[in-house]
Amino acid sequence: MPIHRLISCSAMSETYPTHELQYSSARHQAESAISGMWLFLATEVLFFGALLLTWIYARHWNQAGFDAGAQQTNLAIGTVNTVILLASSFVYSAGVAFMEAGNSRRLVQCCATAWALGMAFLILKFGIEWRDDFAKHLFPGSDFAIQGPLNGGARIFFEFYFLGTALHGLHMIGGLMLVGWIIWRARRGDFSSAFYTPVTVVGLYWSFVDIVWIVLYPLIYLVGRGP
Amino acid sequence: MTPRFRRLWQALGLLLVLLAVELGMSFLPLNRGARPLVLIPAVAMVGIVGATFMEVRRGPGIVRLFAGAALLWLTILLGLGSLDPMTRTDYDVRDLSAK
Repeated sequence: MPIHRLISCSAMSETYPTHELQYSSARHQAESAISGMWLFLATEVLFFGALLLTWIYARHWNQAGFDAGAQQTNLAIGTVNTVILLASSFVYSAGVAFMEAGNSRRLVQCCATAWALGMAFLILKFGIEWRDDFAKHLFPGSDFAIQGPLNGGARIFFEFYFLGTALHGLHMIGGLMLVGWIIWRARRGDFSSAFYTPVTVVGLYWSFVDIVWIVLYPLIYLVGRGP
Repeated sequence: MTPRFRRLWQALGLLLVLLAVELGMSFLPLNRGARPLVLIPAVAMVGIVGATFMEVRRGPGIVRLFAGAALLWLTILLGLGSLDPMTRTDYDVRDLSAK
């Protein structure tokens, strides 16, 4: 029986979360779900770690080309997107705190705000920034804009840029689907102050996606900028 | 305001301050080799998100084990992976052929 089903005891007014057969208690099941998400995130750290190592290695041998590439990126959109993601992560965490206090209405409001902020990020990133990048011929194809001795390094930078932001964007889309699922379940009345494990687990993932962007932002927009 | 909400607001404020510091640092006249120092505020921001939004200290003990293992593996990956570019000595082949 899924943990989210609550059983009412006619002799008592409280409701108790049940747990699946393989767990000793509802608490054990909740802790397993949270630990499982952390283990998954640990594998994600290594997934994005390889991308980070690529940046370290490639930039070391192509510093001038990387800086020339970074100076072509849109700092304003990158910075606004960082603020948006920080706010989104904050709002979702506030929603978890509200749910812990038993306020599912506030949870829905917080999740809807976090979802809207996430969607704004995607629109800015892929609807505006990527479109401008393609228009400026910054995609490292046959008509790449940066020519001359910096061409090789700048190409590698934009390969990193497009791959990194695409992978992060895919994670964002997955996160938006999960936040939407939480909204749907919260509106259905599945959560209470006694049971809100999925809210916590999705929050971990949503904050991790934020962390990935916190690392990508300086690598793409800041390190290569400057006088 | 409960202590938990106060912590969340403080974390958001600190994150925005660190973002401003990071952005400001990127305009400093640092040489190319020193420019990755701009990443220092980002590392602090990752720590704040992990501690407050993800509440790494609040979960069961195994959560801290997984988080610590992730950092350890990442350190090994980046440390060993960076050894070559950081330690390799380049010799100019043209200079050698001229001698």
